[in-house]
Amino acid sequence: MKTPSLLYGPLAALLLATTVLAADPTPARPKDECCKEQAAGAFTKASLYQTDARFTDDDGRPVALGSLRGRPVVLTLFYSSCGYACPMLVSDLVRIRELLPAGLRDEVAFVLVSFDVVRDTPPVLRAYRETRHLDAQWILLHGADADVRELAALLGVKYKQEADGNFAHSNLLTVLNREGEVVHQRTGLKDGHAEAAAALAALAKR
Amino acid sequence: MNRAVRLRRLLAASALLTVLGPAVGRGADAAEFSTALIPAGTYTPLLRSVKDAPAVSVAAFRLDVRPVTNAEFLEFVRAHPKWRRSQVSPLFADAHYLSHWAGDLELGPRALPDAPVVRVSWFAARAYAAAQGKRLPSTAEWELAAAAGYTRPDGRNDEALNRDLYAWIARPTPEIVPSVSGAKPNFHGVRGLHGLVWEWVEDFNTAMVTGESRGDAGLDRDLFCGAAAAGAKETNDYAAYMRVALRSSLKAVNTTSSLGFRCAQDLP
Repeated sequence: MKTPSLLYGPLAALLLATTVLAADPTPARPKDECCKEQAAGAFTKASLYQTDARFTDDDGRPVALGSLRGRPVVLTLFYSSCGYACPMLVSDLVRIRELLPAGLRDEVAFVLVSFDVVRDTPPVLRAYRETRHLDAQWILLHGADADVRELAALLGVKYKQEADGNFAHSNLLTVLNREGEVVHQRTGLKDGHAEAAAALAALAKR
Repeated sequence: MNRAVRLRRLLAASALLTVLGPAVGRGADAAEFSTALIPAGTYTPLLRSVKDAPAVSVAAFRLDVRPVTNAEFLEFVRAHPKWRRSQVSPLFADAHYLSHWAGDLELGPRALPDAPVVRVSWFAARAYAAAQGKRLPSTAEWELAAAAGYTRPDGRNDEALNRDLYAWIARPTPEIVPSVSGAKPNFHGVRGLHGLVWEWVEDFNTAMVTGESRGDAGLDRDLFCGAAAAGAKETNDYAAYMRVALRSSLKAVNTTSSLGFRCAQDLP
């Protein structure tokens, strides 16, 4: 029992070392990604837009969250077949929008990202948009499991699909400033509209 | 000679051929040697809410035979400057990220090249895996692979394994994480799932749902205490409880001195 195990270890190390050396034609250090990004106006260190996660909107167009840069954003995770909390979350967002000063009201992006990566395809999200009468200020996003999980981790949202297909999930609403930095988060439902609206109002252009 | 031993001898022999042969090991040969095939199986969650299925089917997949090492992670940060200690965004790793390394590109005396890399965040672990064309294993996959004993696919009654496991848990975390080569392979040929470091999984943030949609205050009652009383499968599986507790306590930016990771792959 012991002998083959002992034999196996060093061989594994040796082989792996060879593989790494052989299969890694490391280019002479990429000419600093950092500096190129800086020149193009890099996202700030606290910006969520640094994420590599990519999404698709309900028209089937690819969306990087970074494309929202420059606008105040309200972001929440949801799923369209949700019978209880998600409809209320959307109603909460509608209510927050009503509380905003006129100039800001038309500028804020309301972003709904679905964690039901299987059922909430772009056409399903499109139907949801119509059912809930959500105008162009609402951005409904579908993503691959890994992308949604990354966004959820960045926001601190925990979720899990249960055997009946429903999701247990945090009800978390996040306000991002124009750089994509988190400036306000609210958990729970039905209250805190004023606080979220105030966080957004603070982002109004003077 | 049992199957596992025969398999290992075969692998060792083929590795030797690969190393000595003219076409130096790369591609499929290397993948088969550095990863192990974990056959399809069933994972029974330790704790589950009333709505969870009692058992989760897991498709066959490949799992790295050992955790990612300091040397390997060093190569990664060399190629990806944004994951260097001095450059990483606080959004993706906490202040202790790779703090046991001597420098951005220097391991130093507290990080052995062939020891598992620790003090890495979930984001960093995923980025590493993606750069290799791999991914992190799911909880179900990890637990399925780790359920094996040294000599059998079901390790529950493997006394040697349990003895080693509990001895490890009882020991304080060593100042310097030891080399991966000291860890015994299990039935699948996978090393160090127990007894070396804890490991990140892709869906760690499902372990405990905070702010459950049907009542924020119900968290502990619904998912932990209640389930622990009613839904636990193996009440003597203390190590498995520790893993659940650890995963549920972690945030994706966290790094600890005993938390590393390994990569998984779908079958082609």
